[in-house]
Amino acid sequence: MAWLPLANVMHRKVRSGLSVLAVGIGIAMLIVMLALTHGTLNEVARRMESVDAELLILPRQDNVIFTAGAPFSEKYVRLIADSEVDGQECVRSVIPVMFDQIRMGGQQQRLFGVDPEQLTIFLGNRRLAAGRVFDAGLGFKRLLAERAGRRQRYDPSTITEEEVQAACELVIDTRLARVGQYAVGDTIMSLGREFRIVGIVEAGAAGRVFTSIQLLRHLKNAGVPWSSMFFVKLQDPSVAEAAADVIAARTKARVELKSDYGRVLFQSFEQIYLYINIASGVALVVCFLIILLTMYTMVVERTHAIGILRALGASRFMILRGTLGESLLICICGTILGIILAYSAKLGIEWAKPLLTVAIEPRWVLLALAIGIVGGTLSALYPGWRAARLDPGLALTLD
Amino acid sequence: MIQASGLYHTYGNGVAAVEVLHGLDLRIDHGEFVAVMGPSGCGKTTLLHLLGLITQPTRASSLRLDGRETVGLPDAARTRLRSRKIGLVFQRFNLLPVISAVENVRLALRLRGQSLDGAAEAMLDLVGLAAERKRKPGQLSIGQQQRVAIARAMAVQPKLLLADEPTGNLDSENAEGIMDLLTRCHQQFGQTVVVVTHNPAVAQRAERILTMRDGRICDC
Repeated sequence: MAWLPLANVMHRKVRSGLSVLAVGIGIAMLIVMLALTHGTLNEVARRMESVDAELLILPRQDNVIFTAGAPFSEKYVRLIADSEVDGQECVRSVIPVMFDQIRMGGQQQRLFGVDPEQLTIFLGNRRLAAGRVFDAGLGFKRLLAERAGRRQRYDPSTITEEEVQAACELVIDTRLARVGQYAVGDTIMSLGREFRIVGIVEAGAAGRVFTSIQLLRHLKNAGVPWSSMFFVKLQDPSVAEAAADVIAARTKARVELKSDYGRVLFQSFEQIYLYINIASGVALVVCFLIILLTMYTMVVERTHAIGILRALGASRFMILRGTLGESLLICICGTILGIILAYSAKLGIEWAKPLLTVAIEPRWVLLALAIGIVGGTLSALYPGWRAARLDPGLALTLD
Repeated sequence: MIQASGLYHTYGNGVAAVEVLHGLDLRIDHGEFVAVMGPSGCGKTTLLHLLGLITQPTRASSLRLDGRETVGLPDAARTRLRSRKIGLVFQRFNLLPVISAVENVRLALRLRGQSLDGAAEAMLDLVGLAAERKRKPGQLSIGQQQRVAIARAMAVQPKLLLADEPTGNLDSENAEGIMDLLTRCHQQFGQTVVVVTHNPAVAQRAERILTMRDGRICDC
């Protein structure tokens, strides 16, 4: 009897093919949605976690990815630096970052403003593939310090346009360089200035685009040293949790362990995930409704054949099993097609939008297979039950 | 082989109810070849469906098959009994169109849990269709389709073979061939055969003719 579902599927090739396609599209949509969202967020999280620090201090807001502006004044540096755990100073260094946006590679990129002397904390052991770091000789940083003199602040009007323009330098990563076909010496317009690419670093650093934090503060904040967030490197990484609590209490800011960044990032996208899951779920429900309808139509259309089987001695269970088998066959073929479509979509997306990461994990493929099998079974239960309940005498009289 | 008493069967409910069998009594012995005749609508096919355990009588005192009472049996037991003891041949052949002739015959063997071991091929050979075994029903003539249906029914070597107008859709030459085949199978395997027919020439092949009128056997 096992071959009968296959014979039935092959007998109606177009209808079976369309049903397989419907399941395939739904499964592919689910896998790609999951792979795209998780892949991109995981990639961002991995990059942030590559920073040589233990804690992140963020504005007390819900979404870490949309952190923008510069809500932390200079006093926070002191507050953080003076934190103590068990009467001991626990902070080795406070690393301020100022964010802005810059359009490169066909989309908005987060521009990391960092101190040129602290850039290695962000780059880790990644090497420069070309060029040099920005403000390599610390000329602009020293210039601002000189202009400030003994005062805490410099007068922005004392900095000439030529001096600012000379400091407009960027370091980008190899992935963005490849996508945007950028090379050292290329220029990008942003913030009303012409930024020069002076270095290209191996991909995987926290940001894709870096510039001088002093320059960003000058351009955006008239030199006022506010920051978007801080990384904190501790004297002893083993006291990270205690230090986080202390710093959170002192600053009233949101303090997260760097190792938790991925979780925090995913939490920030809970609503979007909910939306994506609902959309994928609805797509799958529609797909399986199509299967249900197909199987129901099959039962109605094949009432006479079911009557024959029953007359020949097929039990109700055999009829139910046959219907389930046919549905499972369609759904498993659909799931396999969906997986192939998902991998094709991954190639397509990564070709069209190379900065997006579509990571199809084995668990998504297994989930798709499970959904295909469970969905195929559930979709066939009612039609199968109807088929099994058919009165063979009545079924034989129908055509 | 078959002992029925007080068989009633009604189609529909309420005012639309039509009683087709009105307390029919019947006895057919082992190895008999019986023809059932009667006008259209007298309940011949319904009787065959009741004897084949395809349909349950609305009411019955008794319907014994090979010594076993079948009235009140649950569906699973009736299905088991049907697959083990009964072979059915229909006027419209009732072959599954999606599988080949030999697979149609194998299907009956599989449903009965019998091993295949070339039994289906041997049966098709017996009915003269060895060469056409891989063809689907739609690729066979109607005479050939009925031969496949007989091969399917006979393959499981049932104790009771029920045939509902087996020649009803055939020309006289094919009808003659089919009746020869049924007679040969009956003689070769010694099965009880009940054939429902309108055709007196077909009925003449039987050892005994039962005539039905108004839902009863009227001339035994």
